[in-house]
Amino acid sequence: MGPILFDQPALNEARRLIESHGLRFEPEFDDLVGLFDDGQLVACGARAGYVLKMLVIEASHQGTDALGELVTRLILSAMSAGYDTVFIFTMPQNVASFEALNFRMLVTHGQTALLEHGPGLEAYLALHASQISPGNNGAVVINGNPFTLGHLHLVEFAARRVDRLYLFVVREDQSVFPFAVRFRLAQAATAHLPNVTVLDTSRYAVSAGTFPAYFLKQLDEVAAAQMQIDLLLFAERIAPCFHVACRFVGQEPLCETTAAYNKMMAEVLEAHLIRCVELPRLVANDLPISATRVRDAFAANDFDTLRELVPSATLAFLQSPSARPIAERLRSKMEKA
Amino acid sequence: MQILRKASAGTMQSSDLMVVVEPSDTLQVDIESTVKKQYEHLIRARIASTLEELEISAGHIQVSDRGALDYAIAARIETAVRRASGE
Repeated sequence: MGPILFDQPALNEARRLIESHGLRFEPEFDDLVGLFDDGQLVACGARAGYVLKMLVIEASHQGTDALGELVTRLILSAMSAGYDTVFIFTMPQNVASFEALNFRMLVTHGQTALLEHGPGLEAYLALHASQISPGNNGAVVINGNPFTLGHLHLVEFAARRVDRLYLFVVREDQSVFPFAVRFRLAQAATAHLPNVTVLDTSRYAVSAGTFPAYFLKQLDEVAAAQMQIDLLLFAERIAPCFHVACRFVGQEPLCETTAAYNKMMAEVLEAHLIRCVELPRLVANDLPISATRVRDAFAANDFDTLRELVPSATLAFLQSPSARPIAERLRSKMEKA
Repeated sequence: MQILRKASAGTMQSSDLMVVVEPSDTLQVDIESTVKKQYEHLIRARIASTLEELEISAGHIQVSDRGALDYAIAARIETAVRRASGE
């Protein structure tokens, strides 16, 4: 019994094995490993970025160390792709099997549990320990794709009401503006606010690990469960460490996923005694300011509109040569749509 | 010997351990173990003595242990370090 690489027939076999265990076969993955016994596929598992998924072991081979072998392969492959920490979503009845592999529970809700293996959350918190100050602190989580006057309005409003405001910028690079740019613009635009600290969320808020549906923009039961996980992670693991007593969020008039997320946020956070303050969107020319509007104006090269939507730091970046490839990407995306 | 690049050794199967070593200015040993409560001090001592034998004074050593015996710990550490030193 040993793992081998997959060819097309084996891929079909993996699909059958995964589906016969009631899981959905998702063709998006970077790596797929399987265990064969006497030519038969008896276990398999996949990795998409730092998320392990579709781990399945035939009943006949449970109780062997098939899981240990699969996870070894997947962790080694994750490591060579640059990920030291991996996530797994699983069902509560499987948590013990993963804990026996030194996975640590991050959060559990209903029929879902999220665990991680590697330095993970502990290392993330240790890295930011020096930036943590006690008090009545607040948090804002943004993607900032890119940073707008709407974001600035929200941050300024929040900063006046707390001792320290942590502005978390979503790390996940699934947006047109790369993380480094989004982070730098958030820092530059809030530099005049002495009690604002800009932090990166790592994978612990609105990431593909906690909340893939946000990036897919579709709403179903899976998405709802993943939103719960994302919010519980914030409420149970992040907020207490940063002494966050209040989370501020901009109202969402347009995007259905974000609006549902905000509604759930109020429920989950308040159950954890964290206040949730929703602020109406700032308006420019009778329309709420949003990053979507900024991207549209930028793609159309409409700098007159942009001046009314973004702070000077963002405007300066959009006018710089390094923003040109982003404008081109936006335009080609629009042509496709 | 010196840890010059990232390397790993071992597996996550029962009674084994997986070791990842990478360069660092200081020596840091992080241990996850299913028997951490009972045996962390012994695991740590065995890792320290193995690193000493290999004359390793700096590096980030991450261990994910599933109840390996001490000679397995020493062997996996040594293998990971040798790989990381370019041997």
